[in-house]
Amino acid sequence: MNFRIVKALLKKDFSLFMSNRFYMLITFVGIIFFIAIYFLMPSQVDEELNVAMYAEEVPVVFAQLSETEGINIEYFEDEETLKQEVLDGNYQAGISLPEDIMETWQSGGIPDIKVYYSSSTATEIKDAIVTIVEELSYLQTGQSINYNISQEVLGHDMAGEQLSLRERMRPLLAVVILLMEILTLASLISVEIEQGTARALFVTPMRTADLFMAKGILGVGLALAQAILFMLLAGGFANQPLIILITLLLGSLMVVGISFLLASVARDVMAVTSWGMLILIILMIPGFGTTVPGILSEWTKVIPSFYLTDTVNRVANYGANWGDVGINMAVLAGITVLAIYAGMNALRRRYR
Amino acid sequence: MEKSIIVENLAFRYGNLLAVDHISFDVKAGEILGFLGPNGAGKTTTVKMLTGQLHPYAGKAVLLGYDVTKNPDKVQSRIGVCFEQTNLYEQMSAIENLKLFAVLFGVDNFNGYALLQRVGLAGREKDKVSGYSKGMKQRLMIARSLVNKPQIIFMDEPTSGLDPVSSEAIDNIILEERDRGATIFLTTHDMWEADKLCDRVAFMNQGKIEALDSPRNLKQQYGKRSLIAEISSNGDAIVKKEIDMDSPNTAAEVEKLLTNEKVITLHSEEATLEDIFIKVTGRRLTE
Repeated sequence: MNFRIVKALLKKDFSLFMSNRFYMLITFVGIIFFIAIYFLMPSQVDEELNVAMYAEEVPVVFAQLSETEGINIEYFEDEETLKQEVLDGNYQAGISLPEDIMETWQSGGIPDIKVYYSSSTATEIKDAIVTIVEELSYLQTGQSINYNISQEVLGHDMAGEQLSLRERMRPLLAVVILLMEILTLASLISVEIEQGTARALFVTPMRTADLFMAKGILGVGLALAQAILFMLLAGGFANQPLIILITLLLGSLMVVGISFLLASVARDVMAVTSWGMLILIILMIPGFGTTVPGILSEWTKVIPSFYLTDTVNRVANYGANWGDVGINMAVLAGITVLAIYAGMNALRRRYR
Repeated sequence: MEKSIIVENLAFRYGNLLAVDHISFDVKAGEILGFLGPNGAGKTTTVKMLTGQLHPYAGKAVLLGYDVTKNPDKVQSRIGVCFEQTNLYEQMSAIENLKLFAVLFGVDNFNGYALLQRVGLAGREKDKVSGYSKGMKQRLMIARSLVNKPQIIFMDEPTSGLDPVSSEAIDNIILEERDRGATIFLTTHDMWEADKLCDRVAFMNQGKIEALDSPRNLKQQYGKRSLIAEISSNGDAIVKKEIDMDSPNTAAEVEKLLTNEKVITLHSEEATLEDIFIKVTGRRLTE
């Protein structure tokens, strides 16, 4: 490795980057756009209570609850559907009344009422739900303590940690900012191959390793600087800043590897853009899952960016620590090494 | 004289196609060697192997005492390559292009302005290359190949598609470099340029070198010298008559012509390299 050559190549690439409107557009306008989206999202949580309910026979007072302002109640035909809806985050709570609730009360018995919460339901909401059930039971029977309530949190328990949409979007936006640099770096490389300038470099004392190092530093530098800027402005470094920083660094390196792969298959800038958009959309999918919990299936864990997005999400939004995300980061590091290795090999063949 | 390039049994395959078929030749220091052949003859593949861009399938190439395959960095630091297709950083200025390559070659105290002045680009040093004409870009390509004062310069069609003034300027630079002591490996389709500049020419066809000698020797060996006379006969009619200059009866035929005929013009004619290429290979250079 010749650092004089790496420095010269880096200076050249940065100069070409700065003089190209396309790169400038997708980089600088991109980051302003994503920061704007973040701050345009609501920072407050919606106080309206959405409750799912399952009951074979709905007691009168429970039915009247639907008319109460601030409470939306939806009825479901079976308990499993109700649980899935709550798990998916569509309702803050689900109330399941036993089929024989009225007979039990009439015979002086104590029915078992099940209450389900989504992982992000706040403690005060849970308390409110219990109070509501308590009040309704009292109104229905005229007696206090005439029920058993079993409470269950579906998914990860987020008691007292409700997130605003803005916070939910933070990991998605941070990762998208990183991923956008795939287009920039792959375009820079592709143009160099398309215009034949790479051939001119390869008949000088420059070695392939020098070229990869220069491209890698540029790619990581551009991606990481923007992601850090965004996370600083969005308050993403409040929890475990070192974990966030290392995760973003690994993500930037993964971006470099994917850029190399993209540049090795795409013959020109148009092809880079077309293939790049497809790759971007796929890599963004895990980010949608952090924004709208419960919408993703298990298969999304095969998408390389899952471990990047999930780590940023769990650390920045839920205060996860090294122990919580260690495996995630190890998988991300493995994917990054694999992406860089595959990218360098594919690109080396393309250069020849 | 010391040999700059020694090629022994060099071969390269693209799949089943033997693009370069075990060729051998050498080039002396300070010599201009013309590499002539139609498209697909194996010229570019040969140059790629000599400049370390491709690894030979068989044989070896030694440049300036170094085996290219084993010591590509030693060879590449001492050569310059001017490609046929313009491959400059168009968004950078001419001086930025040259400075970049000067750093890559490790040239200290590089004076890019002097080099640009030499190729006729003085005053346009800081202009973006994208605004240059084809001739200016080609001059810059030549300048870039000279950044490290190379001992061997590979030039691939350096005057292709240029106007006569630009072509002559580039030809002069090639001759200046030869006079400096550099070896020039000139790949071209242009037989006139090869005839004018090259000390020796190699005819390459289907991966093989079919002939390698000086243009004069090739013409003597394969060509035919003749005298062409335009004769006026029966009033206004002009008739052409050809006399073989290498025949034992040449002198008698010329005397008879000048004595008995009304000669309007009389000039000698010799075979071109194109004629000889066709004679040797059975193909045209521009196929």
